[in-house]
Amino acid sequence: MSWGVRDLDVRFGEHRALQGVTLETPNGRVTGVVGGDGAGKTTLLRCLVGALTPDAGQVRRPDSRRIGYLASSSGTYPDLSVEENLAFAAMAYGVPAAEARTRADEYLERAGLAAARDRLAGNLSGGMRQKLGVIRAMLHRPELLVLDEPTTGIDPVSRADLWWLIASAAAEGAAVVLATAYLDEAERASWLLVLNDGRTLAEGTPEQIAAGVPGTIRVSSRRPLDEAARRSWRRGATWRIWSPETARAESGTVRPDLHDAVTVAALADELDGGVERGDAA
Amino acid sequence: MIVKEFRQLRRDRRTLAMMIFLPILMLVVFGYAASFDVTTIRANVVGPQAERLAAVLPVPFEVEEVDPAGDRADAEMALRDGEVPVAFVTDPGGVTALLDGSELFIAKAAKASLSNLADQIPAGITSRVDVLFNEELETSAIMVPGLAAMILLFVGTVITSLGVVRERQAGTLEQLAVMPLGPWDVFLGKIAPYFVVAAIDMVVVIVAGVWLFDVPFRGSVLVLALGALLFLFVTLGIGVLISSVSQNQGQAIQLALMTLLPQVMLSGLIFPLSSMPGGVRWIGYVLPLTYFIQISRGVMLRGAPIDALWAPFLYIAILGAVVMGLATLRFRRSLAPGPPRRRREREPELQGAAR
Amino acid sequence: MTPLAQSVGVTRRFGHLVAVDGVNLQVNRGEVVGLLGANGAGKTTLIRMLLGLLPASDGHVRLFGLHPSRTTRRRIGYVPQGLGLYDDLTPDENLAFAQAAFGGQRGTLPPTLRPLAAVPVGRLPLGVQRRVAFAQALAHGPDLLVLDEPTSGVDPLARARLWETIRDAADAGAGALVTTHHMEEAEECDRLVIMADGRVVAEGTVAEIVGRARVVVVETEEWGRAFEAIEAAGLSAALVGRTLRVIDASVQDVERALGSLSAEISDAAATLEERFLELTVAAGSTEAA
Repeated sequence: MSWGVRDLDVRFGEHRALQGVTLETPNGRVTGVVGGDGAGKTTLLRCLVGALTPDAGQVRRPDSRRIGYLASSSGTYPDLSVEENLAFAAMAYGVPAAEARTRADEYLERAGLAAARDRLAGNLSGGMRQKLGVIRAMLHRPELLVLDEPTTGIDPVSRADLWWLIASAAAEGAAVVLATAYLDEAERASWLLVLNDGRTLAEGTPEQIAAGVPGTIRVSSRRPLDEAARRSWRRGATWRIWSPETARAESGTVRPDLHDAVTVAALADELDGGVERGDAA
Repeated sequence: MIVKEFRQLRRDRRTLAMMIFLPILMLVVFGYAASFDVTTIRANVVGPQAERLAAVLPVPFEVEEVDPAGDRADAEMALRDGEVPVAFVTDPGGVTALLDGSELFIAKAAKASLSNLADQIPAGITSRVDVLFNEELETSAIMVPGLAAMILLFVGTVITSLGVVRERQAGTLEQLAVMPLGPWDVFLGKIAPYFVVAAIDMVVVIVAGVWLFDVPFRGSVLVLALGALLFLFVTLGIGVLISSVSQNQGQAIQLALMTLLPQVMLSGLIFPLSSMPGGVRWIGYVLPLTYFIQISRGVMLRGAPIDALWAPFLYIAILGAVVMGLATLRFRRSLAPGPPRRRREREPELQGAAR
Repeated sequence: MTPLAQSVGVTRRFGHLVAVDGVNLQVNRGEVVGLLGANGAGKTTLIRMLLGLLPASDGHVRLFGLHPSRTTRRRIGYVPQGLGLYDDLTPDENLAFAQAAFGGQRGTLPPTLRPLAAVPVGRLPLGVQRRVAFAQALAHGPDLLVLDEPTSGVDPLARARLWETIRDAADAGAGALVTTHHMEEAEECDRLVIMADGRVVAEGTVAEIVGRARVVVVETEEWGRAFEAIEAAGLSAALVGRTLRVIDASVQDVERALGSLSAEISDAAATLEERFLELTVAAGSTEAA
């Protein structure tokens, strides 16, 4: 039985936060929801865990006892210690004390938090607090683990630790859903859903999405002008120019990676009459 | 800097409200309400000479009820039940004025008037003044029950609102909504500690008052406890409501103070209601604190039974039901599915992180 | 040519703690330098010294060849992680305040943001807020940009556009120092400086830093068990898709760890992130504060 959402529609007054979004989240796999700020990732995840009721569509999720959720705020109490935060979660989810302690010890140790057990969560650095949040969310061995941008703004060392925790949860058989704005992170998922303005821009494995770019991408060291400027973006010291119609591989073209694919998809959406990126009010 | 600060202030509606509201409140209070002077004193007159006495009783006394068939016991009961603050008992021996000591300022004013009038009473007729319920006319006797009320008010509104809004500030409210905890669990779990704290505080104050300050406790503990319970419903409910419209503790405190101050000033806690002009007095009659003070003073000082206090009990009970009902509704809604914040929260790293 | 910002042998101590240890860093005209490091690596302290907010215990800091001062501050455009905008003021009001404080011209909002100029910043989406913050920092024509995680949380297309603004400034002769935790952003910089434990542990282009570092790649259906086996052997496995990548280990190490588990084991070039982790762990950095 796999969890997920189908044809989800969510509206906040005039604003359509999600439109016809479908996502399956198989057990033992990490599914990624990718998009920038305002794309609808948080809304999608909130529907999935039952914090928000959609206007249309279906949600398949286990009972709240079998769900672990980390909201984009870290979900830890700043004036409780690391230990106390985990104790609260254990009690709320009905995890027997001994089991909770063992699991907590193991995860805290591996995540580098063991020395900070008695420290107040509010005094932890951002990375440590997020790690605590993830441990809290998976302490009760949930079947569905949903994490909303757990690694945004977190340093790479903490990020590696976090991904260890995520991998552990998937190894235990949980269906892990992760929202992220980072593509290099998205590449670590086994399935991706790319959102833009509440709509699905692309979906598939990272390889499938990269391979699915229509047309070709050319690299140039000179700023493209006029019409080409609307189809291009800068990356590093060069510009990448997308030609949607060309099918043949020409000189100077590159094989698109995930980054290119997502950028192209967003560009295509924009040229189709979507709103210019970053300006949506 | 100055321009920027003004612009920000302009948008901070709560601070603006406070800046306007507080001076107005102070003006009203100190202009109109803050007075210990009593202008009219309602009084019953009983006994065989009642009608004659009633005819000649001068200002400030205002005759409420004349009962020639009544006796001292009837008069005392009227005082105990809070019907009138003063009663005159006429008998063949003379006239006795009974003053309700729990209405401290009225009693003092009555006593002063009566000593002035003593000269006018014809010789041969004895006149006595008996102060009931607070014989020494001590201020502490009326303050302690008032304090007990204040504590329930303070813990209920200020402390509770801070505690509940803390959840919203920490961003954990959403987390709670998804946990296998029902809304009732969360709601009761949040307010129960404050309920207990308030109750303990109140008991401590009353016990200290009785032991250390010799404040009497003549009435039924159960009646007071019931009154306190109902009043706590009101104050806790207001506390939760305040937290439901506040994003952080600063805002919660502002609102809580704005509900607290008028009650302290205009509920009869310090300045007697009877000294306030009608236009201001009606504000007092709307405030819940006014009624609980009536209950606590009535029970502790006068030993009033519950049926005598039916009016304040009813008001508080209804208000409590309404406020609690609203509070639970709003609380449930904040836990239940709702729209997300429009912009992304600041990265968690920002909160006190060292990099 | 005088570097725009330079630290020479800069050290900063807080009591016994050495937060920054003998760091040499410079930012020249027209270049974008990325500063990477774990928490507690000393990035923030170094930046604060470069901005003149903190004195160095040893070594010296130069901005435009001079000591940090109020005058040099006028030539810097700084966007902190929190964007430094007042939430309850509109973009126009924020720009007006910055102009009054910094002198120079008032920043102009990009034309597409004009309709939002009267909305309090707190109610605008993050991408828009960032563009306002950028406009504010660039308004007085700074020679040096100091940007703290400039595109955190923003989608690729918007990120590319924000970086265009940074690049345009560099092309016009300014220099930029960018701190980031984010490999995609690091790859946008001309040059990277990696810090760990207060020291610089690597610097150069991405290619130079990654060098010849390799990782072991494990592909197997039973990745869960493989994961546990590798961890049990004291190695560090990271999950990517359905493959596992092990840093700081040889193919033989991994084969031994997996034992009889059937898997395809190969090696591959390390990514910047993996190389970064290797360097950080090697420097003995543990999670600070």
